[in-house]
Amino acid sequence: MIDSLYLAWRYVAYNRVKTITLILCISLVSFLPFALKILLKESEHQLLSRATTTPLLVGAKGNSLDLVMNSLYFSKEKPDFISMKAIEKIMDSYLALPIPLYTRFHAREYPIVGTTLDYFEFRQHTIADGRAFAMIGESVIGADVATRLNLTVGDSILSSPENLFDLAGVYPLKMTVTGILQKTNSVDDKAVFVDLKTTWVIQGLGHGHQDVKTLKEPGDVLSSSEKLVTTSAKIKQYTEINLDNLESFHFHGDSSIYPLTAIIAVPQDQKSATILRGRYLSEQKNQQIVRPKQVIEDLLGNIFQIKEFIDAVVLIVAIAMVLAIFLVFSLSFRLRQKEISTILHLGCSRSTVIQLIGAEILIITLFCSALCFSALLVLQYFQGEIVHQLFIS
Amino acid sequence: MRKIILFSGLLLTLNHANAEEVTPLNIYTVNYPVKFFAERIAEQYAHVTLPMPTDIDPAFWSPKAEDIASLQKADMILLNGANYAKWLPKVSLPLFKIVNTSSEFREAYISLNEGVTHNHGTGGKHSHTGTAFTTWLDLSLAEKQAKSIFKALSRKQPKLNAKFVKNFMPLQEALLGLDSELSEIGKALNGKALLGSHPVYQYMRKRYQLNLESVHWEPEEAPTEEQWGQLKELIAKHPAKWMLWEGVPVMETVSKLDALGIKSIVFTPIANLPEAGDFLSIMHENVARLRAILEK
Repeated sequence: MIDSLYLAWRYVAYNRVKTITLILCISLVSFLPFALKILLKESEHQLLSRATTTPLLVGAKGNSLDLVMNSLYFSKEKPDFISMKAIEKIMDSYLALPIPLYTRFHAREYPIVGTTLDYFEFRQHTIADGRAFAMIGESVIGADVATRLNLTVGDSILSSPENLFDLAGVYPLKMTVTGILQKTNSVDDKAVFVDLKTTWVIQGLGHGHQDVKTLKEPGDVLSSSEKLVTTSAKIKQYTEINLDNLESFHFHGDSSIYPLTAIIAVPQDQKSATILRGRYLSEQKNQQIVRPKQVIEDLLGNIFQIKEFIDAVVLIVAIAMVLAIFLVFSLSFRLRQKEISTILHLGCSRSTVIQLIGAEILIITLFCSALCFSALLVLQYFQGEIVHQLFIS
Repeated sequence: MRKIILFSGLLLTLNHANAEEVTPLNIYTVNYPVKFFAERIAEQYAHVTLPMPTDIDPAFWSPKAEDIASLQKADMILLNGANYAKWLPKVSLPLFKIVNTSSEFREAYISLNEGVTHNHGTGGKHSHTGTAFTTWLDLSLAEKQAKSIFKALSRKQPKLNAKFVKNFMPLQEALLGLDSELSEIGKALNGKALLGSHPVYQYMRKRYQLNLESVHWEPEEAPTEEQWGQLKELIAKHPAKWMLWEGVPVMETVSKLDALGIKSIVFTPIANLPEAGDFLSIMHENVARLRAILEK
């Protein structure tokens, strides 16, 4: 047997182009269904785990999938905004506790999530280093953000402008990192959490500047009356919030109409959830309430339909591949007829010839298995990231 | 029958034992009236804290980092609402623990247009106007705030509901009694012109139909010449003979007002902890002083 294996090995090594082509083809066809299964299982896990733990989501009427994906996975597709009045409505109902979310802005490629401290309690996140945000301008970053940007408690992170060409837009806000979250193995590891009001400062709804009553430089005040002070554009606006300038920060207009992207509603019990859903169905024209689990299950249903289609395609390709391999081997044996008859003339039995061919197939199969297994191991290692990029982002 | 009585007695004892076992709630408030209502209703079942020093106006307090940390750890944070705590938009507090005691009458908030408006360069102008926040000076609103605290406490500690009801009832009665008295005084004043030393009497004016205009004076500071000038202009249009003060004004101011034919009386909003007495006793004193106007 060892002799047969040696001869077979010499043969496949000599015909390396043919062998490598065969190994790649077989490996690829074997790898595809397994890879698809791994990715779908991971995406199902990632999508459902967060959706299951999020009972209800309130957002603007429109695409419920966008609302869920943005609120649960901070995807770049943003739903329409709702106002803070929606929070008051839920609070006044005493049916659920609301957790506001405003996920419009980014710090580099990481989403800035404007919320309240309740979010950490709700998701059962703990702070590994530092403390939660206590005032506007402070942030708590996910474990991956800290690692990738090499940030520690006390460092700062800058919000990114929404539009690089908006020169008259609001200044980026420098936010102090007060805490780093324990690794959660979820999208929260790749997010920057701030108080909801901080996101409104980033948007320009709130700001801090020099006291208009104490301006002394000529030209600073363009006009002044008892009720109206008009200052020049050179008045210093603060781009960082600290204890020295905190007092000067203020918000303009009616805060009850300030924007949100969604609200996580945590109902008191099943009955409260049903009543709340009923109220939104009957009363709310511009808002919707969704059960994220249901939305994600619908999405997964579609994905699994696609998977069935892909499985069928892979099966057809696999059959074609098996036929092709069969053809390759039969043609190869026909070409090797002289070689086989020489082996027989040398006194070898037919079983030895079969052994030789079997050994060749065994070597190729072993290589294919090794390659396929290695590729699957690599895929398994990066599955979280790949699924996040493919299905979530 | 004997068995039923024994069983009922046992149930009552068990219920009492359960109530005694409840850990007191750690409650933070933003002003004295809200603290008073919470303490009256919760009694020994809550530690109610008013975190700011007693010598400042709680509405304009600035919490330090350790104050915010304590607030974040509270079981319940009772707000006055009507944009009362000016520090609130600058700090991060858990929404689940916040109770806005005036949320039920949000529509009754009174908007102010007394702030300075400014703009930057050619950008849009914006004003720093706000909302009148001394809601409890309308005692009917104070009663609603107390009721809101009672409901929040009952939701938080349903086992103690009976005790909270028992404590809330007399408080409600006292607040509505004060409201009736003030309504009666308001009617009797019949549009008599009054002055307020500070713009804090908006809700009181509206509820009790007082013909009251306010200046912006501080009781512990003598007004400037400019402020006296503004007052003279005001009394030319609004011939008031009485000025309501948040605290006892300095003698110099009282004398000068006397010379103008304006008497001073104290009607304190008691936003912060009083040195003596409590919300109800001080409010009774306020009412008695206001009633004195009718007698003179």
